[in-house]
Amino acid sequence: MLTRRSAVAGLSAAGLPLFAPALRAQAFTRQINLIVPFAPGGTSDILARLIGPRLSQVLGQPVVVDNRPSASGNVGADFVARQAGDGHTLLIADAGTLASVPALFKRLSFNVKTDLVPVGMVSFSPYLVAINPQVPATSFAELAAYDKANPDKLNVATSGVGAVNHLTAMVVGKHFGIKWSAVPYRGGAAAVRGVVSGESNVIFNGAIATLPFVTQGQLKGIAVSGEKRLEALPNLPSFKELNTPVQDAGSWQGIYASKGTPPPVVSRLNEELNKVLAQADIVAKIRELGSDVRANSPASFAAWMDKAMVEWGEVVKAENISLDG
Amino acid sequence: MDLIANLATGFAVALTPANLAFCFLGVLIGTLVGVLPGIAPITTIAILLPFTFTLPPASAMIMLSGIFYGAQYGGSTTAILVNLPGESSSIVTCLDGHQMAKQGRAGPALAIAAIASFFAGTIATIIIAVASVPLSALALKFTAAEYFSLMVLGLTGSIALAHGSAVKAVAMVLLGLLLGLVGIDVNTGLPRMTLGIGELGDGIGFVAIAIGLFGISELMIALSRPQDRTLLSVALSQLWPSRKELKDCLPAMLRGTAIGSILGVLPGGGAALSSFASYAVEKKISATPERFGRGAIEGVAGPEAANNAGAQTSFIPLLTLGIPGNAIMALMVGALMIQGIQPGPQVMTAQPQLFWGVIASMWLGNLMLVILNLPLVGLWVSLLRVPYRILFPAIALFCCIGTYSISNSQMDIGLMLLFALAGVFFVKVGAEPAPFILGFILGPLMEENFRRAMNLSRGDPMVFAERPISAALLVLTALLLVVLILPAVRAKREEVFQE
Repeated sequence: MLTRRSAVAGLSAAGLPLFAPALRAQAFTRQINLIVPFAPGGTSDILARLIGPRLSQVLGQPVVVDNRPSASGNVGADFVARQAGDGHTLLIADAGTLASVPALFKRLSFNVKTDLVPVGMVSFSPYLVAINPQVPATSFAELAAYDKANPDKLNVATSGVGAVNHLTAMVVGKHFGIKWSAVPYRGGAAAVRGVVSGESNVIFNGAIATLPFVTQGQLKGIAVSGEKRLEALPNLPSFKELNTPVQDAGSWQGIYASKGTPPPVVSRLNEELNKVLAQADIVAKIRELGSDVRANSPASFAAWMDKAMVEWGEVVKAENISLDG
Repeated sequence: MDLIANLATGFAVALTPANLAFCFLGVLIGTLVGVLPGIAPITTIAILLPFTFTLPPASAMIMLSGIFYGAQYGGSTTAILVNLPGESSSIVTCLDGHQMAKQGRAGPALAIAAIASFFAGTIATIIIAVASVPLSALALKFTAAEYFSLMVLGLTGSIALAHGSAVKAVAMVLLGLLLGLVGIDVNTGLPRMTLGIGELGDGIGFVAIAIGLFGISELMIALSRPQDRTLLSVALSQLWPSRKELKDCLPAMLRGTAIGSILGVLPGGGAALSSFASYAVEKKISATPERFGRGAIEGVAGPEAANNAGAQTSFIPLLTLGIPGNAIMALMVGALMIQGIQPGPQVMTAQPQLFWGVIASMWLGNLMLVILNLPLVGLWVSLLRVPYRILFPAIALFCCIGTYSISNSQMDIGLMLLFALAGVFFVKVGAEPAPFILGFILGPLMEENFRRAMNLSRGDPMVFAERPISAALLVLTALLLVVLILPAVRAKREEVFQE
């Protein structure tokens, strides 16, 4: 069978070595694997299955979503880091988590900065900070006053030790002088349940998952991360208005390629990704998921990653968290 | 009345030709994966999830939930006829169902399994409709302390349930606990006993263990024995249980439905735990407990009612609170999110057609399942009459596909084979795998909730005694222990298990 690789080898052997890179840059010659480092059903997975078929249309090759779940997504990211840099293996992951793992794990099997090539950002979903209604407070300032009057009563539910919502809660709490203890749960849904039941009393969690509990009165909203307020809860101030640290904390989803993917291939992928992200129904679907499309260029995505790695690295260091002993 | 108006809305949605077709497709696929050991409904739902993207939300949910409860029906067929649990919730059905089949009463065993499932399904549907609001309030009263006490009760109960030596049962629970602790510790974020293997960070896959222990190892044991072909040429002329048998089963079905309905609502509960609990109860209160394990029809009716009720009521926390109680419900959350519906308390009011449509479809689906299962039992049997030399490799292949597809990991296949060997060893030394599995599932939850409760109480262990529900559960555990240890009871228990 004549495969692309044997064709390229044949051409090289025929004295046309310069032809190969050009061929690589333009054409996608076989199935493209879009790796989701989490189990089906999560945000990355839903976005992958939304974008995958459209990418497939524009790239002319099937895009197959492949779930390789593990804690923090390291197994899936490591897999992509080890693939050939030809643009046929892509990773869709939470960019904030990926930016925090180098600080959290001392013995990471891959290097986030050098082994993964940022292709483009996909979406941003802010955190909604909410509390159990039994806590008599409506703002960070009132929470701080409550904490002073009732020391050792506040517990902040997190999706796991070292999760971005854990890091955010600690650094924002410190900013307002609140000493809450972090209570880790198995994922965001369990953490929300813990706050609704009243065993914990504060949560920083994805707005879309927390919003229904706030509108139903089972949780009370305090603030929302990012620059702007939520349309559904216009009374809650944004992190930017409150001038908190880590203002753009939340769930950032982005797509990465493997190390060594030639820049022309990365820009072609970015171009096609941004075309897909401009389609009206995709924008609407992502909006329904509680996120906003945040398409950008490979360069600005890489700059975002660099900044996030420094920012989360400092928080991890200050909190003295290590996830591999 | 609101309820009637709501149900009318629901049936109007569920009875449209398209939704009826999706419901039928769901229960048919569910029955198939239930009959075939090694393919779990969670695998099937995960594989089919992408195909529901284009369906309307109600149709998607109707089909996916059909797969889930359909599998509870199908699982019992395989359990009874070949002593292989098609689903983890059918493990208990093997105990007496297969004994009945060996005694030539496969027909009544299959019929009572289907009748009990339909009976429980009907009642569970009514319960969901009537009580979903107050029941989800109860589930919310459970905090870490209550969960811990519930897990303690569950593990103690699993020892009481086990056949044979209580010491072996305790050993199996502890082994299960130990293996359950492999992976990232939720409370510190640190990996434990992972040998540095990244894939083990999320723990040893339950599917790999279950398929290895109950699927592959059963094949190996079956092959080590001379083939018992009489079993597969069961005459099904006498399908219906006698009037007396039906009368005997009715209380068991009622109790099973009650147990399943309650355990199903609790996170982590659901079908498998319900069937174990129901079997333990039936055996405990029976006037003739020695018949259990030797073809007692109540031992089929109770657990079958319980697993179906549990499967259905586990939708309550999902539909009313948006909180998934188990892994399958977590996939359902994903299915809803794909549709742009955030599961939560608002679904009932904002999406009444979806909420009540799915509930109405459950009853219709149960009706279809009885029709699929009773007259078509012959067909399912002929599926299992396929010679072992074809059937066994096919089952082994499905086991491998099912295990692999959970996280596309070759290591899971290796683990599955390892646990298959362990399963053979357990059977040879007379240790039951059921307490092992319960230790494996409940152990990590027990630890997680214990440490969370201690974290929240800032290290005060009195929290377990001060909270009333938790205290009541611990008192029950103590009573159960006393009953287990009392010399008179112990003597009787050992007598019962003498074989």
